[in-house]
Amino acid sequence: MDLLENYKKAWENQPKDTNKLSSAAIYKLAKSKSSSIVKWIFIIGILEFIILNSAYFFVDMEAAYLEYQKLGLYNFVFYSQFFAYAIIIYFLFQFYNNYKKISVSDSTKVLMKKIIKTRRSVKNYVIFNLGYMALIMLIVIIAEINLKIDDINLNQMLLVILLSLVVCLLALGCLLLFYQLLYGFLLKKLKRNYKELAKLDDFN
Amino acid sequence: MQKDLETNFLADFDANQNIAHKICRLYTTNQSAHNDLFQEITIQVWKNYPKFRGDSKFSTWMYRVALNTAISLYRKSTRQIKTQDFDAVSFKIKATDYDDTEELQLKALYKAVHQLNDIEKALIFLYLEDKPYKEISETLGISSVNARVKMNRAKEKLKNILNP
Repeated sequence: MDLLENYKKAWENQPKDTNKLSSAAIYKLAKSKSSSIVKWIFIIGILEFIILNSAYFFVDMEAAYLEYQKLGLYNFVFYSQFFAYAIIIYFLFQFYNNYKKISVSDSTKVLMKKIIKTRRSVKNYVIFNLGYMALIMLIVIIAEINLKIDDINLNQMLLVILLSLVVCLLALGCLLLFYQLLYGFLLKKLKRNYKELAKLDDFN
Repeated sequence: MQKDLETNFLADFDANQNIAHKICRLYTTNQSAHNDLFQEITIQVWKNYPKFRGDSKFSTWMYRVALNTAISLYRKSTRQIKTQDFDAVSFKIKATDYDDTEELQLKALYKAVHQLNDIEKALIFLYLEDKPYKEISETLGISSVNARVKMNRAKEKLKNILNP
């Protein structure tokens, strides 16, 4: 007889009443708050939106707009914001949709696919935000240099470019790191599991 | 309406809560993690209960929800301490049906299964529960053939751990 068949018998005979909960206890548990990964991905996505966008409240926008006007970028910044917000709203809608569609009553593979998709949309969202920030920074730097091109010499100009680039890269790097830490931790296990499942289909 | 739903849920869940406990024992190694996972499974079964149409048996549906929760929704298991304090969740076996060999086998089995990955655990669990391949493949979302291939590997791995 197969070795495992013996263990299967022991499995079947394991006592049933350990840890058994009363209906009242089950009712209480069922109504408690979930701490599932999907929920956290959704919450983190929303938090990221709030944190990235609340930066506007801490920056004096009046002064910033005046500065943009001086650089001749007012129109660009003003209109590109509409464009950016349209995309951000699209992403938020997608987050919500992903979250709603994820269901544990799907098969394991479908469920994991949906979770990975959710993750991908959060990732794209962050990439978009970083990209948009980088683009604005770059254009401001170029406009700034363009404005002062007659007042400064080449060395000063190179220094300004270098410093601005370093500051931009640091800011972007910090955000990226923050993002990696957050999701890397949440999704390491899932990614591994998904790979395991995906491998199954490669065999055929 | 809501009251009916709650009553039915409690009856169904209560009759099958052993499924959840067994999965918790396989996927966690200490009592507090066990309780956490059990809570999450209870929440998920309740939240998805209105979607349960009854075209399959409740227990079949619950296997899926509970396993999916253990595999993909449960957050804490990666931070668990790896020690096998199985005795903390050991069974209070009544003197009358006390069987030393089976108890030892059961302990060895749990200890071995803890060394498998999440997907292998699910396969072995469904094997131990005597589920047909059709149900296993539907639960995991892979073809029957693949379920067989993967099951044989998981069983081989488990045998090697049990009997090196």
